Amino acid sequence: MDGSSESQLEESSVKPDAAEPLQREALEALMVRYQQADQAATRLLVAELSPQLYRFFAAQLGNPEDASDMLQDTWLRIHRVRHTYRGGDPLLPWVYAIARCVRIDSYRRRRRVAAREVGVDVLPERAQTAGTLASDPPSFEQMVADLPESQREVLTMLKVNGLSLEEIARATSSSVGSVKQKAHRAYEHLRSLLKPHREGKRAGS
Amino acid sequence: MNPQNSRQEIDHLLDTASLSAVPEQRVKQIEGVMVANLRPVRPLASRGIYFAAFAGIFVAVCVASWLGIPARGWQALSDLQRTLVFAPMIAIAALLAFSLVRQMTPADGYSRSTAMLAASLFLWLLVFMLLVFRPLPEPAFLYDAEGCFRMGMMFAIPAAIMVAWLFSRGAPLHPGLAGATAGGLAGLTGLAVLEIHCPILNLYHILTAHVSVTLVCALLGYIFSSVTFPRWRSNP
Repeated sequence: MDGSSESQLEESSVKPDAAEPLQREALEALMVRYQQADQAATRLLVAELSPQLYRFFAAQLGNPEDASDMLQDTWLRIHRVRHTYRGGDPLLPWVYAIARCVRIDSYRRRRRVAAREVGVDVLPERAQTAGTLASDPPSFEQMVADLPESQREVLTMLKVNGLSLEEIARATSSSVGSVKQKAHRAYEHLRSLLKPHREGKRAGS
Repeated sequence: MNPQNSRQEIDHLLDTASLSAVPEQRVKQIEGVMVANLRPVRPLASRGIYFAAFAGIFVAVCVASWLGIPARGWQALSDLQRTLVFAPMIAIAALLAFSLVRQMTPADGYSRSTAMLAASLFLWLLVFMLLVFRPLPEPAFLYDAEGCFRMGMMFAIPAAIMVAWLFSRGAPLHPGLAGATAGGLAGLTGLAVLEIHCPILNLYHILTAHVSVTLVCALLGYIFSSVTFPRWRSNP
């Protein structure tokens, strides 16, 4: 990967919400107050982080019901291990490492269940993906649906959740170089997937 | 279209793409459950304290054994053998302690690589052992090996209990690795005790009776932790 694309990746941070999200320091302060059993801080922390976490799961699964279940499971686990957060440490990698763990466990559980299920004759139609779209602007979930899991995860954290490359590396227990590589490959993949969309737009105009 | 324009276009698409809205009712439900079960918790102590504690277990058990039993193994070793055996063991113990501290907290650095570094250093320790020890006649090989294995485990088990007790407040994301690391540290303690006390310098005796203490402990730690720790992952 060349130097310019690396710097572009670093620059490409995104505001995850339309409303201005709380700064990282404020979130970390809320987490410390949550450890001290402050009810208002707990409510605020859940309200601030839940939309981000929900989108993280929704982008990975494409199923709102499962995403909602995983969001709940993530908060239950955060509640159980909240003492392992040390004040002053970055909060978001800690939260997303737990969220990742929930997603992986859920994936394994579903795979076990699927192994016992009897298949139906006709498969239900899959949600429309970026590759099949010609003119409609795709949703984020549709755009990343066809990416390999690890690339989708990195791109979601980078673009939807607004994590930095260092934070993603911490959350995924990998190196910054590996995260950069995955993000770069995700962009390459998206470029080829979005070709029909671009051509459709050009033909329309 | 050049790649930069293409990247900007993808960025624009990603930035303007519609995002799923979180179900507010569910969030309220979660808030309610969490607030209802709220009580203050004491955060983990600093990394330095935990590192000192894990490394301290290794040192304390070795010193305690030294004070209780004559160090005939230490006396039997040459200076070169002492250096090439104990220096890597101390380095491995430090790396394992460091790795354990990191594994206690989610997203606390690249913990897997530290454990792997410790494992590769352990292989180097075996290479050094092959270089500095020679096969020697040992008439009661099995009897001696059994005695040493028992003695190593006798010191490794208390070390494992202390390490597990200290580690129990952590939330490892990879329980198997955490268990193998903790077991490895306890087993290494047993190995160090044997190197201090066992005067038998036969290469085969050391590679089987002594080294097996570390390997068995790491394996038991892996199994125990895989069974015990996933509990924190499951729903209450």
